[in-house]
Amino acid sequence: MQLTQNKPNKKVNVKLALTAATSALLGLSSVAQGNETSELDSWSFDTAVLYYGEIDRVTATEAMIGATKTFDDDSILNLKLTFDALTGASPNGAVAQPTTQTFTRPSGNGEYQTPANETPIYDGFRDTRVQLNAQWTQPIASVYTVSGGVHLSKEYDYLSLGLNGSVAYDFDRKNSTIAFGASYFQDTYNPVGGIPNPFSVMIPGSGDEDVDDPTRLGKDDTKTTADIMIGFTQVINRRMVAQLNYSYSMVDGYLNDPYKRLSRVNANGEALDYVYESRPDSREKQSVFAQTKYNFAADWLNDTVLDVSYRYMWDDWQIDSHTVDSRFYIPIGTSSYLEPHFRVYQQTAADFYRPFLYESDDELPAYASADLRIGEMTTYTVGLKYGTLVNGDDELSFRLELYTQKPTNAGFNEPGVLASQDLYESVNAIIGQVTYSF
Amino acid sequence: MKISHKMKIILLVPIISTASGCASLGVEPWERDLLAKKEMSLTSSAIDSAFDDHIYFSKEASSGGKGFGGGGCGCN
Amino acid sequence: MQYISKISVLVTLLFGLLLSISSVAGETVTSRQALEQALAKHKGEVVYLDFWASWCVPCRKSFPWMNMVQEKYQTKGFSIISVNLDADYALAQKFLKENPASFSVIYDPKGKLAKHFKIQGMPSSMLIGRDGKIKQRHTGFFAKKIPQYQQEIEKLLAQ
Repeated sequence: MQLTQNKPNKKVNVKLALTAATSALLGLSSVAQGNETSELDSWSFDTAVLYYGEIDRVTATEAMIGATKTFDDDSILNLKLTFDALTGASPNGAVAQPTTQTFTRPSGNGEYQTPANETPIYDGFRDTRVQLNAQWTQPIASVYTVSGGVHLSKEYDYLSLGLNGSVAYDFDRKNSTIAFGASYFQDTYNPVGGIPNPFSVMIPGSGDEDVDDPTRLGKDDTKTTADIMIGFTQVINRRMVAQLNYSYSMVDGYLNDPYKRLSRVNANGEALDYVYESRPDSREKQSVFAQTKYNFAADWLNDTVLDVSYRYMWDDWQIDSHTVDSRFYIPIGTSSYLEPHFRVYQQTAADFYRPFLYESDDELPAYASADLRIGEMTTYTVGLKYGTLVNGDDELSFRLELYTQKPTNAGFNEPGVLASQDLYESVNAIIGQVTYSF
Repeated sequence: MKISHKMKIILLVPIISTASGCASLGVEPWERDLLAKKEMSLTSSAIDSAFDDHIYFSKEASSGGKGFGGGGCGCN
Repeated sequence: MQYISKISVLVTLLFGLLLSISSVAGETVTSRQALEQALAKHKGEVVYLDFWASWCVPCRKSFPWMNMVQEKYQTKGFSIISVNLDADYALAQKFLKENPASFSVIYDPKGKLAKHFKIQGMPSSMLIGRDGKIKQRHTGFFAKKIPQYQQEIEKLLAQ
């Protein structure tokens, strides 16, 4: 009987242990004697660690372990466990001033200060998150592929539960595939200090849950996200495949960032007080996505692959975005590769985005937010990935990327003292990742 | 918006020619050697995509839109 | 000037002739001839004709079973003839080194046999009865269908 090459003992033991553990966890039948090799071959594991570090701002570390089992009927089970830890500072939405500013902590216990001429940032976040994913994929009658999965994610102030499902149909000798997918997420936000009352003025000492607090509406709130997607994949020729997708997403519920506020300034741009932000309670997004992969397979380009994709997104907050993403796979010898990566992203501001409010406004706008995340911006990512086969067919890879986010002024005046402040500070980050798959 | 009969024909021509052009696209089942390679899969790396999607979702206002099957070896 | 044009025409013709001779000489036996020879050798037997390629994952899974079945039914008049569809001979050899075959392999790098038999997917297999006619066609190789595949072979062997 055919036996595959046995790999070095130490590694086989690790994989065997993981396989046995995962099988036991899932209640799958234990490995039969003598069938160990084929059982091992049906399992594959992925481990990865990522570091994301912004200069002077947020840093995050993520670690992931995944297990994939392929069954005899070609169905696939994938399990994934992810941990991430976030620390560092984020802008709190207020504008820089030529004087020191004082803000209350979200918990209401105490205050923090921002020096003159600096973007106000809140440094108190220490958040860890655990995420569990399970996905089942089943081929049916050779031309259908059905998939379903669950998602659970928990952090100190946030819980997210989700379901997804999809069906794909292959036709024309599997040159064409049409797919339909849907997902539903239910999130609960339990922010430190409770849910702030939108547009209420930040009061020192507020946020104490025992006290009847005009700046707080309650302890928590929820949001639901429903997505549907239609995709079409076509093999163009021996070297090229292309995909076109359309997505529709409806988000309903609590969409504010409870930790963000806006400065209310006078005619000279001086901040008088700070109010909590207010966003609509729904958001409808649509996007079209096109991607192509082309294998050069020519002698001098030796099986390099170019991957180019474009996504256009638009929503009812009047945000439009363009994303161009490209990778170039360069094989090195028979077991390694280099893959440079380049991404450009551009978005317009939400219609209720404003960098600050005027105290002189007779009426408050319906919604307002100074969160740069929904402001006008352009971002660039440049990266390089190196991968190599080790120990037979295990893969080890390293990825290093530089990400820069450049917010821009969507046409707002900068009166008085604000003219000499940087209201649109760029953020630069480094991303490093190591992945080992076996 | 009222579309005149002439406009309808003008709009249909590129769609039909693209669709019929689509019928001549593709390869025979035994010509998928390059498409079967891991590097020709539409998702370059599911692991990297998951990490990146999380980063970009936190920093930007857009998310998702991509990632469905198709292509590949077409086996079984 | 006239000489140059005449000589260049002659050189081109000669070159073309040499090329065509070498292509005929290089391909000593076409894939079609090789298959006809193999089928003639196994006339009166039940033949399992399998189309595979090195890049096809289910093909890798089918080899152990094909080796097993070849051994099991050989004495009853059963043979497996496989057709390799790799465009690159080196890749086929690498696959065979990792997945040895106890059955014969015919090389069809240009896919002429695949096209002739109108192969719909990879891998593909056909069962040819003792009378030389195609009795069963399968597209894809499914481990859970192995009992069915064996039943079909046994039914044809009984004839």
